[in-house]
Amino acid sequence: MTAIEIRDLAKSFGSVKAVDGVSFTVEAGSVTGYLGPNGAGKTTTLRSLLGLVTPDSGEALVDGRRYVTLPQPVSEVGAVLEATSFHPGRTALDHLRILCVAAGLPDQRAGEALEMVGLADVAGKRVGGFSLGMRQRLALSSALLGRPKIFILDEPANGLDPAGIEWLRGFLRHLAHDQGAAVLVSSHVLAEVEQTVDNVVIIAKGRLVRQGTLAELTTNGDTAIRVRATNAAELAPALEAAGAAVERVEDGLLRVRGIGAEAVGQIALDRRVVLTEVTQERSDLQKVFLELTGER
Amino acid sequence: MIGLVKAELRKLFTTRLWWIMLIVMVVLVGVNLAFIIAFAGVSQNGGPALPKRDTMEWAQVAWSVGSSGGIFVMILGVVMITSEYRYQTVTGTFLTTPRRERVIAAKLITGLLIGLLFALVILVFEAATVVPTVLLSGGEFSLAETRIPQVSIGILASLALYGLFGIGLGALVRNQIAGIVGAVVWAYVIESIFTAIPALHSVGKWLPGGAAQSLMSIDIDTGLGRPEWLPAWGGALVLVAYGLLFAVVASATTVRRDIT
Repeated sequence: MTAIEIRDLAKSFGSVKAVDGVSFTVEAGSVTGYLGPNGAGKTTTLRSLLGLVTPDSGEALVDGRRYVTLPQPVSEVGAVLEATSFHPGRTALDHLRILCVAAGLPDQRAGEALEMVGLADVAGKRVGGFSLGMRQRLALSSALLGRPKIFILDEPANGLDPAGIEWLRGFLRHLAHDQGAAVLVSSHVLAEVEQTVDNVVIIAKGRLVRQGTLAELTTNGDTAIRVRATNAAELAPALEAAGAAVERVEDGLLRVRGIGAEAVGQIALDRRVVLTEVTQERSDLQKVFLELTGER
Repeated sequence: MIGLVKAELRKLFTTRLWWIMLIVMVVLVGVNLAFIIAFAGVSQNGGPALPKRDTMEWAQVAWSVGSSGGIFVMILGVVMITSEYRYQTVTGTFLTTPRRERVIAAKLITGLLIGLLFALVILVFEAATVVPTVLLSGGEFSLAETRIPQVSIGILASLALYGLFGIGLGALVRNQIAGIVGAVVWAYVIESIFTAIPALHSVGKWLPGGAAQSLMSIDIDTGLGRPEWLPAWGGALVLVAYGLLFAVVASATTVRRDIT
């Protein structure tokens, strides 16, 4: 089911074309990474989708409708835009309780949402004393209040420490894969989303440059396996006999194409060769990203 | 809409500004009252003196001091809307309520309610100071021959409408500093000029401050001629019109702007 649909979206700020004819969709049950360098137009796209920015042309729809026409937006879409939009003198719980009453949700959702992001013990603390990571979690908890099925997150990993990023990855996967939510998450740091996303949409200078699954993007039909073995000289002919193309990189290290890792392991077992490393080589997503976005 | 008004009240009561403003307002009203208590019946340079402390005329003058709280409600109204832009909480507000004019409407209602609340505090404070002062000075306190009930209603109405006015102004300006400075300059400089100079009274009575004065229905002779205010209901209408005009203009212009 198409949860998010962006169609020919365009928006200019003055003479700058922030978004220039972007189209893509996000399906329920999947995490889509919206990637691009800073200033590529990611935030403008997401804000158009949420009715905060009025596009010049084109459409940005959630569940087939414009966000501003949703009768209960908080219960349909959870949005995380930036970690700075809190009054510093207000407590975390109060911040959420305000959103609850405005959205017609029971107050207890505020406490529950804080618990889900691990902020329950600082619920009564003023946000002014929060770290960037805590604010980011608070922003995420506000998106959870209405138990929505669509999530739109703009650079949610900003300011999170490695443990926080790991937690976020698991959380987004859980929302999409276990709860069937559609998740659209933007980032300019590939490594953050590489292990999280199913689909990738890449934008640069306001234009879409690539859309597809993560696998489509990283495997260019040219995947090699790095094999390190104690007796590589004996292993190589056996692999070649099984139909693999073997490149002898250095003493003890082979690059094998044409057969899978499991086959490599089986042949090594048959030959009683000790493998010290078997790595699936992927074309580096970072490299693909930089090439596609014209950053080098 | 009730939920949205509740949300606005929560926004206000979960930060510290409201009670700071309330305390400052009560202190200011208290200082004014102290002067009026101190200079009661004192004649200066042969000019008209304040009535004596034990008279109901004095009580009535003292009572009207409460209208000076309007500026605080106006500033609070301005801040209620501009702080959303300053701290970017407006993003969350408009995500929760994407129909922005509903947010503005809820804020207008909240501004009215806050004005009423502040006015009630002033009235309680005045009752607690003016009544004992009259009694301790040997007078008798009786509302029968005074305009104190009208003045009280005037204070309630003018503060409520100043709240509305502040919201409208804030929605239009968006910038917090500009909004507050604008409100203060307007109230203390421009309005004073128009009320002080008789030739400008015909314009001054249509301004927010002049309209608020008319709600008090008290003629204060400044020595420069009696100001001619609008009738009380006219003053109320003028204030409502300003607040709504600002809010409507703002809804059609600044409020619709992109939130980036």
